[in-house]
Amino acid sequence: MKPLLLRCGWIARMTFLEAVRQRFFAFLIVLGAAMVLSSVAFRFLDFGHGELKFIADFGFGGMFLFGSILAVVMTAQLFFAEMDNRTALTLLAKPLSRAEFLIGKFFGVWMILGLFVIILSALLGLVLWARAQELSLLAEQSGRVAPDFSISGLSIFALLQWLRLSVVAAIVLAIAAAARTFLFAVILGALTVVAGQLQWIAQDVLLKPTESVVYKSILWLTSRILPNLQQFNIGDALVLDSGTVAMSSIGWVILSGLLYASAYLLLGALVFRRREI
Amino acid sequence: MNSAISVRHLTKDFKIGLRGLKLRAVDDLSLEIPRGQVYGLLGPNGCGKSTTLKIILGLVSGTTGEINILGFPSATAEARRRTGFLPEAPYFHKFLSGRELVRYCAQLSGVPAVKMDDAVDSALELAAMTEASSRRIGTYSKGMLQRIGLAQAIVHDPELVILDEPTAGVDPVGAAAIGRMIRAMRDQGKTVVLCSHLLGQVEQVCDRVAIMDHGRLVLEGRVDEVLAQRDRHLMTIEGLTPEARLAAESTLAAHGARVTSVTHPRRSLEELFRELVTGSRDA
Repeated sequence: MKPLLLRCGWIARMTFLEAVRQRFFAFLIVLGAAMVLSSVAFRFLDFGHGELKFIADFGFGGMFLFGSILAVVMTAQLFFAEMDNRTALTLLAKPLSRAEFLIGKFFGVWMILGLFVIILSALLGLVLWARAQELSLLAEQSGRVAPDFSISGLSIFALLQWLRLSVVAAIVLAIAAAARTFLFAVILGALTVVAGQLQWIAQDVLLKPTESVVYKSILWLTSRILPNLQQFNIGDALVLDSGTVAMSSIGWVILSGLLYASAYLLLGALVFRRREI
Repeated sequence: MNSAISVRHLTKDFKIGLRGLKLRAVDDLSLEIPRGQVYGLLGPNGCGKSTTLKIILGLVSGTTGEINILGFPSATAEARRRTGFLPEAPYFHKFLSGRELVRYCAQLSGVPAVKMDDAVDSALELAAMTEASSRRIGTYSKGMLQRIGLAQAIVHDPELVILDEPTAGVDPVGAAAIGRMIRAMRDQGKTVVLCSHLLGQVEQVCDRVAIMDHGRLVLEGRVDEVLAQRDRHLMTIEGLTPEARLAAESTLAAHGARVTSVTHPRRSLEELFRELVTGSRDA
C-alpha cells in the first residue's frame, strides 16, 4: 500500500509543479482576484441587499466561474500534455499502474485547485473584513446594527468549493481517459459542469407526478449520474447567515462530493486501463 | 530460461474509422531475444516495430499472441520492474534538472531511498551526464536529451533495456557515444533491444538483428551470419603492383577463381567525421 501511495504522490507532485508554472493558472488567479477586488468598486449596485452580500456574491461568482474553467481546462490539459508529448510512454513503461497514474494526476490537479480556492477565499475574506470594519464604524455612529460575516463559514464554503472543483476535475479526467482530443474533453467537461449546475431541475421535475415511466427513468438516471453541483453553492447561508445551515447538511454535501469524485475516478481508471497509448 | 523476451504468434490489428476496418500492424510475429545481447529490431517506417515494442512494454495490447519478459507476462509490474525504456524522441518536463528527472524516474521505478543517490549517480555517469545534471532539461541539446533519457531508463538497474531510435536526430559524435553506452550495458550483462534506422550503427553494436516488413519477420539471426556472403572473399593487400596483380589473377584463374573487383579500401563518412570532429559539443 505504501509504494502505491508513494507512486501516486510522485505523480501528483510533478503534476502540481507543472500546473503551478503555467501562465494559464496565473492568469485565472489574476482574473479571479480582480473580480473580488472590483466588487468594492461596484458595491453601489447592491440592489438593497447589503454591501457585504454583494461583495461576497461577487467573490463566490469569481471562484465559481474561474475555478470551473481552471478545473475543466487544466485537468484536460495536464492529461493530454502527457499523452501528446509522450511522457506517458516513459512513465507507464515503469512499474506504475494506469490507475496510479490517473489518481496521481487527479491529486496534482486537486492541489492546484486547492491553492486557487485558498488564494481567492483569503482575498475575499480580507475584502469582507475591511469593508465590515468600515460599515461597523458607520453603524455605530448612526446607532444601527453592524453587518457581519463569518470567517468559519467562509472557510467551510472554501472547502466545499474545493470539493466541487475536485468533483469536476474527476469528471473531466474520466472524460479525458476516453477522449481522443483535448478539445473534445474540454467541451464535454464544460457541458457536464453546466448540466451539473442545472441538475436540480431534473430532481425537481422528478418530484412531480407523471405517467411516463421512460421519462421518469431518464430523469432518475440523469439525476444520479450527474452530481448536483448546485448543492455546493451555499455561500450566502454559510458566510452571511452563520448558523442557518445544519452541520449534517454540510456533512451530506461533503459525503456526496467525495462519493462522486471517487466514482468518476474509478470510472476513469477503468476506461484508461484499456486505452492504447 | 535464456530468453530475455519471448514473443509467440503476436498479431495486432488496429480498427480504423467508424466501420471498424482492420489494419494489421503485426502479423504472426514470433521472436526469441536471448539474454545478455544487443538485439536490433529493424524495418522501414510503418513495418510494425514500434507497435511491437509498445506491446512488449504493455502500452498497447496485442490482438492475439503471448509475450514474456524475463519469464514474466509482459504487461505485469514484475516485467516492467526489470525493464528500462527510452522512447523515440523523448520529451521530459523542461523545468526539471537532469538529476531531478532521473531521481523522479528512480522513485517511480521503486528504487529504495537508501540506494537512491548511488543509483542516480551511476545512471548519470553511464550516460555521461554527470556534469550537466544540475542544468534544466530545457537547456539540453538533442544528444543530451537522448542521454538523459538513457539515464532514466537504466536508473533502476534493469536487466532489459529497450531503446527506440536512441540516435534519431543526434550527430555522429553523439551517436557514437550512445553506441559506447550500449556496449557498456551489454558488458554489464544487460540485454539491450535497439530499434533504429541507422543501419551502420546497428551493424556495429548489435549481436543479432531481426528485420520486419509489413508486420512480418523477414529475417533473423546473428549479424555476422546474416551479412556474410559465403561465396565472396575480401583481401586487403599492401604494395600491389600491376605485375603482382596480374600474377595473382592468373594464379587464382588456374584454381578456378575469378577476381570480380579490385578497389581501394574506404573509410566510411561516419568514421571520417568522427575522426575530424573529436570533441563533443554536448559535453
